[in-house]
Amino acid sequence: MHRWAARLVVVAVALAFSTAACGKKEEGGAPGASPAGAAASPAGKKYRFAVMPKALNLPVFFYARTGAERAAKQLGNVDVIWRAPEDADPLKQKEILESFITQGVDGIAISCTSADLLNDPINKAIDAGIPVVTWDSDAPRSKRIAFWGVDDFKSGQIMGEEAAKLIGGKGKVALMTSLGAENLARRLDGVKDSLKKHPDMKVVETYDIKEDPTRSAEMIASGMSRYPDLAVWISVGGWPVFVRNALDPIDPAKTKFVCFDTVPPAPDLLKTGKVQVLIGQKYFGWGSEPVKLLAGIKEGRMPAEKKIDSGVDVVTKDNVDAYLEQWKRWEKGEE
Amino acid sequence: MHARLKTIWKTRELSTLFVLALEVAFFTWYLWPEGGRSHPFFNLSNLVLILKYSALYGIAAIGAAMVIISGGVDLSPGAVMALAGVVTGHVFVVQGHPLSAGVTAGILTGLTCGIVSALLVVAVKLPPFIATLGIMGIARGIAFIITEGRFFDLSSRLPAGWKPFGLPADWLAPIVLVALAAVFQYLMQRFQWGRAIFAIGGNETAALFSGIRVGRVKASVYIVAAVLASLSGVILVAIQGQGRADLATGYELDIIASSVVGGASLTGGRGSVVGAVLGTLIFGVLRNALPQIPGATFYDRLIVGVVVVVIVVVDQFIARKGA
Repeated sequence: MHRWAARLVVVAVALAFSTAACGKKEEGGAPGASPAGAAASPAGKKYRFAVMPKALNLPVFFYARTGAERAAKQLGNVDVIWRAPEDADPLKQKEILESFITQGVDGIAISCTSADLLNDPINKAIDAGIPVVTWDSDAPRSKRIAFWGVDDFKSGQIMGEEAAKLIGGKGKVALMTSLGAENLARRLDGVKDSLKKHPDMKVVETYDIKEDPTRSAEMIASGMSRYPDLAVWISVGGWPVFVRNALDPIDPAKTKFVCFDTVPPAPDLLKTGKVQVLIGQKYFGWGSEPVKLLAGIKEGRMPAEKKIDSGVDVVTKDNVDAYLEQWKRWEKGEE
Repeated sequence: MHARLKTIWKTRELSTLFVLALEVAFFTWYLWPEGGRSHPFFNLSNLVLILKYSALYGIAAIGAAMVIISGGVDLSPGAVMALAGVVTGHVFVVQGHPLSAGVTAGILTGLTCGIVSALLVVAVKLPPFIATLGIMGIARGIAFIITEGRFFDLSSRLPAGWKPFGLPADWLAPIVLVALAAVFQYLMQRFQWGRAIFAIGGNETAALFSGIRVGRVKASVYIVAAVLASLSGVILVAIQGQGRADLATGYELDIIASSVVGGASLTGGRGSVVGAVLGTLIFGVLRNALPQIPGATFYDRLIVGVVVVVIVVVDQFIARKGA
C-alpha cells in the first residue's frame, strides 16, 4: 500500500505539472477548458483544426504557424492545434494524424513528409467526415479535398526565365538539386522546360547535394574551379543561401545566382550582390490559407480547384527592402 | 526468499498499472468534451490506436527489459526494427517473394544481429553499451545501403483491407504484444532460464559460482531481444506499408525508458516484462493525449522527461527505504 501511495503522489505531481504547463493557453476555449468558457462564435461552436507541418525542428514552419494563428484569430471561431513530430519522422507523423481522427477534430491541414504513407489515414479521415487539406507537400493520390502550395513546375519555369534575363539568354548553366524529392524534381523539370526556349544556354552540370547545405558549399567551390566561365547557377532548393559563406567562390560580376527560398538570412545575400534572384514561397500562407479553406468547407464552401497554386514571390535587389518590410509585418501576425 | 521476491514484483507491476490507470483517468477528466461532442480521448477507436502504436515499442521492450534485468543494455532495437523492416520489404516487394518469406527473412536478420551482439558481449567481452551501439550503427547503415534512401512500398502489394490471420490489421500488433508478454513473463518467473537472468543481473559472480552458465544465458538474452525487435519491425512495415531505413529512429531510448518506468533497474537484477509493456502504454497514452491539448505542442518532451524522472526517483527512494 505504501508503494502505491507514493506512486499516486508521483503521478499527481507529474500530471499537475503538465496541466500547469498547458494551462496558460487554455482560455481560447480548448476542450479541456470549462464548458462555460466555450461557445465564442455566433453559431455557438468553435472549430478545432489540427494543422500539421512535417516537423517541429524545421525553421520554415515556424512562419506557417504564425500564419495559421493569425487566420484563426481573424476567423474568431477556430482553435488551431499545431502539431508534428519533432523531426521529419513519417511514422510519427502518421501516428499523430491518426490520433487526430480518433479524437474527432473538425478539420486537418497537413504538410506530408511521405505522401503515400498518409493516403490511408487521410482517406479514413475523409470517410469519417473530417475534411483534410494538404499544404506545402501534397498527397495527390489520397482523397484530400485540396492542396495549397507552390506549383513546382511553374516556379521552376520562373527560375529559368529569370536566369535567362540575367545573362541575356546566353552562357553556361549549372543546376543544383537534391535527387529523390518529387517537388524538387518538378522544379528542375520546370527549369529545363523554360531553358528549351533559350538554345544558347547550355546546362553543363546538375549537382546533387543530398539535402545537405554544407555539401552545397563544397559543390559550388568545385563547380567554380571547373567552370570558371559559368554564367549562372540555378538552385531549386534553398541550401546555398542558408550557409552564409557558400557563395564566396563566386564572382558576381561573372557568375549570377538564382535560388529558391527567401527565408532569412537569404535576403541579406541579395543585398551583398552574391545572389540576383530569390524565389520565395508563401511561408506564412502555408498556415493561414489552409485554415481559411477548412473554415470555408465547414460552412459549405468547397474550394473550386483541387490544386491551388499559392504563387511565388520573385525577390530581387530592387524589391528586397519592401519584401523585408512585408516580412516583418507577417512575423507580427499582420496581413 | 523466492516467494517474497515474487510478491514484490507483483506489487511493482500493479503499481505501474495503477499509474497507467491514473493517467487514463486524468486525461479522461481533463479532456472531457464540451456538450454534444464525443469524448476525444476515452473512446474505443482511440484505445485501439494507442495499443497499436504502443505495441510496436512494447514488443521490443519485452526484450529490452530482459537485457536490462540481466545487467546489460541494448541500444540497437530501433535500428534492428528498421533493418528487419527493410529486409522484409526488399524480399517481398523488390524480389517478389510471398510475404511469409519476407517476414522470415526479416526475423532471420534480427537473429543475426542478436548473435553478433551476443558474441561481442559474451565472447569479446565488450561492454553491452559499446557492443549494441556498434550494432545500432551497423544495422541502420545496412538498412540505408539496401534502400539507398528509397522506400519499399508494401501496401502496393497487399490487398486493400488486408486482414492478417482474419484480423483487422490494427489489432495484429496488440495481440502479438499481449501473447508475447504473457509467455515471457511466465518464462522469467517460472523457468530456470528466467531466474538465471535475474541472478546474473543481481550478481554475476555469485551467479557463476552457483553454477549458472552465465555466458550462455547472457547470449540468449541478447538474441531474444534482437529477434523481438525484428518482429516488431516486421509488424511495423506490414501494417504501415512502407519499409524505410529511417523508421524507428531513436526508439531505443523510448524502449529503455519504458522498461525503467515499468520497474527495471539499470543496474540489473530487478524489473519485469509486464512492467516494461505497461511502461510503453504509459508513454503511448502521453503521446496520444498531449496532442489534444492546444498550446502544449512544445511541452511534450519536457512532460515526458519529468514523468520518467519522477517515477524512477520515487521508485529508487522506495527501494532504498525497503532495503
